[in-house]
Formats: sequence, structure tokens, C-alpha cells
Amino acid sequence: MKLRFAAGRLLALVRKRRLDRELDGEILAHLEMAEIHAMAAGLSPEDARREARRGFGGIEQMKEDHRAQRSVRWAENLLRDVRYGVAALARDPGFAAVTIGLLALGIGANTAMFSIVDAVLLKPLPFPEPERMVRLWEAPTPTLHNNTTTLTFLDWKRQGAIFEALSVEEPVRAAVATGADAARLSGKLVSADYFNVFGVKARIGRTFALGEDQPGATPVVVLSYSLWQTQFGADPDILKRDLALDGESHRIIGVLPAGSFDRDEARFWKPLIFAPDELNRGQHWLHVIGRLRAGVSIEQARANMSMLRAGLGGVIPQKNLAFAVDPFAQFLVHDTLRRSIYLAFGAVLLVLLIACANVANLALAKGATRRKEMAIRAALGAGRARLIGQLLTESLVLCLLGGVAGVAVAYLLLHAAAPLVVVLLPSTADLSLDLRVLAFAAAAVMTVLVLTGLLPSLQTSFGKLPSSLNLAARGSSGSNAAVRRTIVIAEVAVSVVLICGAALLFKSLAKLQQVDAGVRIDHVITMSADLPATAYPTPESAATFYEAVVERLRAVPGVEQASVSLDLPLQGVRWGEWISLGGVKEALLVRVKMVDPWYFATLEIPIESGRGIEDRDRAGAPPVMVINQEAARHLSSRFDIAHPVGKAVGIGLPGYGPIPESLVRVQIVGVIRNERTGGLHEPVEPVAYVPLAQVPRQDISLLVRTRSGPLSAMSGIREAVRQVDPHLPLGGVRTMEQVKEQSMLWAKQPTWVVGAFAGVAALMAALGLYGVLAHAVTEQRREIGIRMAMGARPGDVVSHTLRGALAMLLVGLAVGLAGAFALTRALKSLLFEVSALDPAALALACVLMTLVGILAALIPASRAAGVDPMAALRDEG
Amino acid sequence: MSEHKTDVPYGTLDLLILKTLDTMGPMHGYRIARRIEQVAENLLRLNQGSIYPALMRLEEQGWIRTQWGISETKRKVKFYSLTRAGAKQLSVAVANWERSTALVARFLEAES
Repeated sequence: MKLRFAAGRLLALVRKRRLDRELDGEILAHLEMAEIHAMAAGLSPEDARREARRGFGGIEQMKEDHRAQRSVRWAENLLRDVRYGVAALARDPGFAAVTIGLLALGIGANTAMFSIVDAVLLKPLPFPEPERMVRLWEAPTPTLHNNTTTLTFLDWKRQGAIFEALSVEEPVRAAVATGADAARLSGKLVSADYFNVFGVKARIGRTFALGEDQPGATPVVVLSYSLWQTQFGADPDILKRDLALDGESHRIIGVLPAGSFDRDEARFWKPLIFAPDELNRGQHWLHVIGRLRAGVSIEQARANMSMLRAGLGGVIPQKNLAFAVDPFAQFLVHDTLRRSIYLAFGAVLLVLLIACANVANLALAKGATRRKEMAIRAALGAGRARLIGQLLTESLVLCLLGGVAGVAVAYLLLHAAAPLVVVLLPSTADLSLDLRVLAFAAAAVMTVLVLTGLLPSLQTSFGKLPSSLNLAARGSSGSNAAVRRTIVIAEVAVSVVLICGAALLFKSLAKLQQVDAGVRIDHVITMSADLPATAYPTPESAATFYEAVVERLRAVPGVEQASVSLDLPLQGVRWGEWISLGGVKEALLVRVKMVDPWYFATLEIPIESGRGIEDRDRAGAPPVMVINQEAARHLSSRFDIAHPVGKAVGIGLPGYGPIPESLVRVQIVGVIRNERTGGLHEPVEPVAYVPLAQVPRQDISLLVRTRSGPLSAMSGIREAVRQVDPHLPLGGVRTMEQVKEQSMLWAKQPTWVVGAFAGVAALMAALGLYGVLAHAVTEQRREIGIRMAMGARPGDVVSHTLRGALAMLLVGLAVGLAGAFALTRALKSLLFEVSALDPAALALACVLMTLVGILAALIPASRAAGVDPMAALRDEG
Repeated sequence: MSEHKTDVPYGTLDLLILKTLDTMGPMHGYRIARRIEQVAENLLRLNQGSIYPALMRLEEQGWIRTQWGISETKRKVKFYSLTRAGAKQLSVAVANWERSTALVARFLEAES
């Protein structure tokens, strides 16, 4: 009722115009009736009108009064309440600081987290009409997605009625000479249509024109905004300059706008011109993206593509191969990432909830001590609504200050976290505090206001006034003690859920860290290099380089062993091929790694049987292969080959440069112990190692094992490589330890985030517990004094207080564990070899919470023990 | 006749309106004004318009509420009626008024 008219006053301000109109209507009706009345009394119509006006008095003056009545009061009250609120906060700066701090932390963490959620999961892609963007694949089986061949891509490209633009996208790396040092830059080989797929225009100059991806076209390149800024000093005359990629000059035709292309690894884009021998249907190498024509649905595109597939019939040898069309956005966000983000957001929401609980609790405690003030004000004639209004305004001031501080916290958090987080997010994700995020922060503030302001203000002002005057005078424990205890129990319960989640994640991370990678991790440094086709045109030239570079590297002081290979351990293997066995229809899918004779020795991978790759396995020598135990296990269980060494198998191996892939018969010469080729959490894959000398590659990795700190040997290593090829830049210098760390990033980040939130939650719950107990001790001084006067010892008083704390903790733990049982299931997919109900982790969580709780209870307990009975009793007398 | 008229005593218009609504039940602005004038039997100089700001004030306090109705002239007008809080306020105000008039009366008696 009272609330209704308080709200009405608010509406009055908003609906000023409506009220003005209503008043006009009322005045009109009034004058009309007065006129009729006067005419009935015998006046002429004209006199009646004059009489009615006279009786009414000054209309404009009255309107002004009316307006003043309905708006000034409202504004005045609000202003006065804000002034009271600020004054009340200034009187109790400790309360204000703690409250604003709690809210800033809660709102800030939530706002920062929301900006990640928004950027990754909610916001549409930063391109025009992103729903028209698609990816195209070959689907050898309905669940598999594969790259396509050149000729098939050209078939797709002819479907102009469906696709407005269609482009391939191939990562490439090239040496760019800038100053003295050669640097390696990532780029992309694309079709001329590429930027039409994204609907992006150049900031300077232009993007590719039709035909620039055809044979004979002048070499051109488009730069990213960041490359233009860093390497070219934002030169406005950039279009007059050339860029040498691997020594080949390219005309710079455009610079892209700043934005999502800068978060991509690529720094330059150049047209992919198909070589004549690439025009085949055997090499599945092209990754295709496209933009549907306006009005074409993805279903229509799929139907069209399956018709096209049917039309091609036997032209494509694989009978069951279908064409797949998927929304572009679908593969941007990995499932694990999506889950991790939801998890972290859930955790941070719980933290905000606990922060609110704490603030509400503080407000209740404060409300209890202010009851006397409220009672006096009510006795002096303040309406209940005015009191609630005043308390709510105080809360509003607090929440607004907390919200502003929270946005500042979010800004700092985002700046601190962005470099750590961004590597895991898709490049389309733009982390910023934009309007959407600020709107979220505002919504969070309003929610917090309702959660923290309403209950305490009702509780404070709805008590029976005369009795609260009496109670307040005597300082006995108020009726809201039970409410406050319930809030603390809820806080403990929510914290327990978070600590359980964190404990499970940490245990899982520990398990992951214990996994044996199967390779030497310490004292190994790795780097990558690309042999440019211009300097290394033949397989022989590349093979000569591998040998020479290893020889030089081993001569560097402090270097124990060195090796060249394709792909690093734990980073995944790019090549996968089918091993076919003579006389058997079924084939075995293996990962293929090209390694030199020193790879196994450098990483200390032991040979289980047969031999490793050796110096004699050169080009021209009989092709050989070494397999890992996992591959041997598959051969033994599925193909009945117990002793693979000596067996000959067929396998498709890639050619060098323009040389196409070919099917080769290879002899298995050895079996080595498993190395972890993929992530530590992934099952061991069957791997085949072939000699790099027989299957040379341009995109290679160097691995060097050193005697002391690996990074200290780096200058010697660089010098050694420079002696072999002075123009070859080295990229991606990382120790194996860093490689291992990076491979666990997906598990580490959510774990630490949830862990940090759980820690904050536990501290907040402890703070809440402390607050309630400290308040109880203050309120019960008299009771404690009497008990001590009757002979209770300090120990009894302490244990009495601690018992109260333990009771709250135990109830909280029970509720929290029940919650954990229900909620930790959501963690399942993020846990590695740990059950979502792991008893040790859950027990640890309970012990931690109990310890923190008891620590929080000890301070008020010891204060209770220090009560001087005489002073306590005299005080109240 | 205007010589005998007095202005509405300061702060009493609210009381007069509340009392009017209490005895007469829901009514619109013009009727309230007329009723006050009738009861005062032309002893009061009332600007009829001044009751509207007062009505707004009382409504804001939650002492009266409004409903839309139709006037004798077939116009849509607001009908005002007393709320329970208004009835309570009326009794408080009446008591206050009686106390202060009694007080003033006693002073006047003592002086004379």
C-alpha cells in the first residue's frame, strides 16, 4: 500500500504529461458544473461562466501548485535520502568500505566474465550478415569432416546461384626481411573472393580483384592493420611499397581495417594460384569458406550440394563421400572452451551471490542497531514508506558506488587477463567494455540492490515500533538473528560447492601433470623453420640442410643432442594416413611423423625392438618405417601381426613441394616406446615414423637438448643455423616445458579461475560468519556476563560461541555437499581421470571450509571470553 | 457580504477535505468544493481551484485514492475517496486540532 504510493510518486515524475492532461480535464469538468450550477441559480450563460471562473480562482497559479505538489516532494525526498545515505555512510566508513569493496569485487568479476561470455558466445560475428557465412567440407562418412581437393573446390565454385563468394584458406608462413634480421610471419593463401566471404573492405587501397588468383597474375599481397602499424610504421604511402615474401617481391595493394583480422594469427593474405599438377582429386588439402547468396538458406545450399555430388558420380572415386555445409560460427568455439566459459561464469555468479549475502547481512546487522533511530523517526511521524524509501536510497547509493568501482575492477581484470585468455578464444572474439557489457553491469547493480536492499529495509522498518523502541533500548538480540544465521549458512553452502568444484579440478590438473609424456621434457628447446621453396627447390637440397644443421648444432658448446622433425610432441601430428597390409581389406589409420635419425635419441625415446631411423635411411635407400607400441598393439590385435618388424606395408606419403603424394611400400624396421603426440589427456595414438631424408618437408621443427639451461644456449643455436643458412629465420622458440604447459592450458585456466573464485567465496563466507558471531557476542554481553558471574569459565564461553559457529558450518556443509553432488556433474567433461564425486577432493573441500570457518569464529569467541561480568552487567543496569 | 468571509485557516484545507470525504463518501472535485462552501455557509473565502493541489498532496500521502467516474455533465472525472490510512490520519488530525484549539481557548480564557 505504502510502497504503491511511493512508486506512484516516482511514476508521477515520469508521467508528468499524462497528469497535466488529466488535470486539464478535471478543471474543464469543474468549470462546466459550476457554470450549470450558476445558470440554475438564474444567471445568464455569460455571467454564469464568469461566476464559475471567479469561484475557481487563478487557474495557472493552481496548476503550478499542483505540479509542485507532485514533483518537488518526490525530488526533495530523494535528494534528502541521498544526503542522509551519504551522511550515514560517512558516519560509518568501515561499513561503507567493506560493502563497496564486496560489491565492486562481485560486480567487477561478473562484468569482466560477462564480456568474455558476450564476446565468445553471445555477440554475432563482427561481419555483415554472419548467418550467411558457411564452411564447406567433404564428408567421407557422415560424422567426418575433411578438406577437399582442387578440382572439387572448382566444382563448388561454379555454384554461383548458391554462393555469393567462395574461397579457400590455407595457412602459410613466409620470411619477411625487415632490417637486419629475417622474421617469419604467418599469412594465408586465399582465393580472390576471400574478403567478400567476410564482407570486409580494405581500409587503404583494395582487396583482391577477380582474376588475381589465376595463373600469370602479378603477385599481390594485402596486409593486416597491425602489420601495417608495426612493420611499416603506419606509412600512408604503403601502396607504393613492395613486400618481399621468401625473397619474392609482392605489390602491396591494401591494408585491412583494425579489428578481428588483427587477432588472427595471419598478418598477410595473398592469392592462392593453383599449379597445374594441383588440379587433381587425390590431394585433400583445401579448407573452404563461403558466403551464401541473400535469401538462400543453409538447407537449400545443402540440397544443392548433394545434387551436385550426385551429378559428379564416379568422377570422385570415394563412393560414399558427401559434401557438407555448416554455419561458419559453429566451429569457432570449441566445446571445451564453451564449457569452461560457462563454468567460470557460473562460479563468478555464485561469488556475486555470496557478496550480496554478505552485504545484506551487514545491512541487517546495521539495521538492528539503527532500529532505535527508525523507531524514533516513526514516532515523530515518518511514514513507513518514507523509512523504506530512505533505507533503499542508502542501499542504492552503496550499490551505485559499488557498481562504478566494479566497472573499474572489470576494466583492470580484463586488461590483466586479456593476454592470458585471448590465446584460447577465437579471433572473432572482441573483449571490451562496450555498451552491452555496461548494460549487464547496470542490471547486476539493480539485482544486487533488490537482493541486498529490500530485505534489510523491510526487516528494519516493519518491526512493531513501540516494542523495537524498548528492545533497542535494552540491546537484546533482535528477531533478525535467525535470518542472518540462515544467510551465513547459505553462504557456507555456496562456498562449499565452489570449493568442491575447485578441488576436483585441481586434482584433475595434478593427474594430468603426472602423465608421462614419453619424451624428455627438461633441457630441451624447440623452434620452427620454413625452408623457402626458392632456396630449397628439391628434396635433396632440403635433406642436405637437415644434416648440415644438426651437425652444426651438435658442435655448439652446451648442446648434447640435436634433431630435425615435423611436428613436436604434445602438439598433435598433422599427417594421418592409412596403412594397408597385403591381402587384408581393412587398413589402419596412423599419424605420420617425419623424423631424422637423431629424433629418438634427442627426446630419449627408447627403442623396444628392431632399430630406429638411421643414417643409412636416405633418399634412394629402401623406404623404412618405425612404429610406436600403440600401432604395434593395433597390428597385433586387429591384424594378427605379433611381430611387425620386418613386415612390409603400403602407405600414402606426401611429396616435396609440387611433387604429388604417392603410395609407397615400406618396411617396418622397429618399434619404439609411445610418445604423447597429442594432448596429455588424449588417448595414445598409433604413430608411424618415416625418415625425413626419404620424405622431406619444408615446415620443420628443430629440437635441441642442452646440458644446462636451454635458453642460455639459444644464441649459439641461432649462430649455428645462420652458418648453414644466413637467411633462414627461426620462429616459435619454446622449451619443451613451455610446450607442455601450453598443451595443458585448456585445463589450467578454468581450474585457476574456479580456484580463485572458490578462495574468494570461502573468505567471504568466513567474513559473514565472523560478522554474525561478533554481532551475537556484542548482543549477548549481558547474558555472557551473567553466566560468568554464575561461575562459567572463559573456556566454557569460548566453546559456547564455537559450538554456535560449528552448528552453522555443519548445516552449511551438508547443504553445500548436496549442492555439489548435483552440480559437479557439469564438470565431468573437464575432469581427467577424476570422478565428479571424488571422495578425497570433496572431503578436502569440507575440511578447508571448516578450518576457515573456525578461524573466523575464534576472534569473536576470544572476545566473548574477555567479557568482564561486572562491566557487562553495570553497563545494562 | 464579502466582509464577513475569512480565508481558509492555514493547514486546515486538508482536514476539511478528509472530513468531507469521510462523511459524504466518494465524490469528485467540484462536489468537494461545493460541499465545503455549503457547510461553511458562505463564511469561507475558498478558491475552488486550490482543492486540486491539496487533493494531489493527500493522494501522495496515501490518504485518499482516486477512481474514474462520470460527472453529471457526462464527463470523465476523478472521484476521490478516503483510504483506511486516510481515516486514521483524519482521527489524528481531528485530535490534534481539538488539542490545539483547546489550548488556544484556555489561553484566551486565562487572559480575559
